[in-house]
Amino acid sequence: MSKSILALCRQAPYGNALAREGLEAVLAAAAMDQTPAVLFCGDGVFQLVQQSPEGIGEKNLRRNIQALPMFGVETLHICRASLQQRGIDPVAIELPGAEIQLVENTTAFIDGFDHVLSF
Amino acid sequence: MTLHIVSKSPYSSSALADCLRTCGNGDAIVLIEDGVYAAQTGSEKLQDFAGKAVFCLRADAEARGVAVTATVDEIDEARWVALCTEYRPIVSWFK
Amino acid sequence: MKNLEIAGREIPLDKEGFLRNLADWTPDVATALARSEGIELTEAHWEVLQLLQSFYREFELSPAMRPLVKYVGQHLGPDKGKSIYLMQLFPPSPAKVGSKIAGLPKPTNCL
Repeated sequence: MSKSILALCRQAPYGNALAREGLEAVLAAAAMDQTPAVLFCGDGVFQLVQQSPEGIGEKNLRRNIQALPMFGVETLHICRASLQQRGIDPVAIELPGAEIQLVENTTAFIDGFDHVLSF
Repeated sequence: MTLHIVSKSPYSSSALADCLRTCGNGDAIVLIEDGVYAAQTGSEKLQDFAGKAVFCLRADAEARGVAVTATVDEIDEARWVALCTEYRPIVSWFK
Repeated sequence: MKNLEIAGREIPLDKEGFLRNLADWTPDVATALARSEGIELTEAHWEVLQLLQSFYREFELSPAMRPLVKYVGQHLGPDKGKSIYLMQLFPPSPAKVGSKIAGLPKPTNCL
């Protein structure tokens, strides 16, 4: 049986390379038919808000994340408490083509996976 | 049950705080590298460990001169490896 | 890889033959890039190249095989949204070869 994989994304998009590396790992795994689940928590939820990083010479990470459903990752899991703490309305992070699932209990959610990749 | 590995100081990183937010009953925490500073006797971080199984790599604590509190279990590498086989999944909190 | 020369203009390529500057892309450049892959572009190629470019505009990344198949299927219908169809147009690796001819960066997740 194949092992279930979770990518745990908890970094804001542009302060360091981890957010982008996480996305690329997910895309690579999905391209190899090892589609992981993705959980955004902590500052990772900032990856999902509307952003315009052209002025700092970065590629738009949210736009890249929008490609996830095309790669077979149709559901994005998001920690509800992390959104609340940061004053982000779940409506503001909706992505076309993706189903957003708010996770109340990250403990139980994470516990359901065989492997967790941290980014 | 999940094994959480924390490698950053609780005073400079949210790694431990984020870990504790998702650490459930029956989970275990291993403090390594700068993560061991949380285990210092008298540290105000210790109260967050109440009721949790917390381990700390002895070599990393000794290297940093951390006097590990009695409620945190000091372990060697072999025990750490054993813990990694006893729990699933393993989550690294390294930033 | 040698650079392209189009109408007296030198177009720099990287060592795998991808455009160094995406702004250099024109239909003539595409024709020349395709030729270096042994492909003569037809209408069927051009509609996929346009989709590759719109994929890149929408997501700011080049598609791997699976998303390319899905995207083509969504826009050109299920008959064309098949890997065998795309394989015939852009052998041997449609995502990579198609991206190259469409003037996109190499798909980073294309192993």
